Amino acid sequence: MAVNLLYHQNEFRLEDEMRQIEIAKKDPRQFAPLYKKYHEAIFRYVYKRVDEEEAAYDITSSVFVKALASLPRYEFRGVPFSSWLFRIAKSELYQSFRDKKAQRTVSLDSVTIVQFIDELNEDFSEEQRTTLLNSLKLLKDHQLQLIEMRFFEKRSFKEIGEIVGLTENNAKVKTFRALVKLKEIFNRTKA
Amino acid sequence: MIKILVDRTKPTTEEIKRHQNFETILDKASINETKKILPWYYGAVGLASFIFAIVTILL
Repeated sequence: MAVNLLYHQNEFRLEDEMRQIEIAKKDPRQFAPLYKKYHEAIFRYVYKRVDEEEAAYDITSSVFVKALASLPRYEFRGVPFSSWLFRIAKSELYQSFRDKKAQRTVSLDSVTIVQFIDELNEDFSEEQRTTLLNSLKLLKDHQLQLIEMRFFEKRSFKEIGEIVGLTENNAKVKTFRALVKLKEIFNRTKA
Repeated sequence: MIKILVDRTKPTTEEIKRHQNFETILDKASINETKKILPWYYGAVGLASFIFAIVTILL
């Protein structure tokens, strides 16, 4: 599984980041290094979930506007700063879907599809691929979010939990249930 | 309806960097902050003016 370096930072880097956050709370201009550090990761998270690139840039921008405006209220309570930003991104995305400024999208690559079909204990074929894509569309959004983060973005359960507001264990249980649900839909669609 | 995109072109790191604009973020965040402050600010100024006017009349 790929390691997300922005999430798995060592203690020294995390302390340094906390210092940077405290400085930025007093002087918003000092938020620039944090903006530069996380801009790409947030953009890529948003881009995978919307169909238009420009919309992804706009949403990313509003994530950082919100983050900067809310920064004085940010306190480290075990949730890393990156997860706090992803939470804001998640909420901004759903606001855009509600306002019809963006279309809910799932971005996948062929390699991930092959790996995921294997995860479902099925052999890959074009037919299975189509069935999988149709099955994903039938999942409830909270289930799709978990599948997306775990299997398509290879995030740890801890990080998933922090983004969606669950404990690590709950994230694991709910992701497993989402996978079971997807298998059910997959088998039904196939039949 | 959910849209599924397979093997979509991904913008490069350089392209994404070109879209970074911290000054805009700073401006928008300060505008939002001002918007939040304005009603309270006017309320406080209004109340202070009202009290000042009452005190002036009474004196």
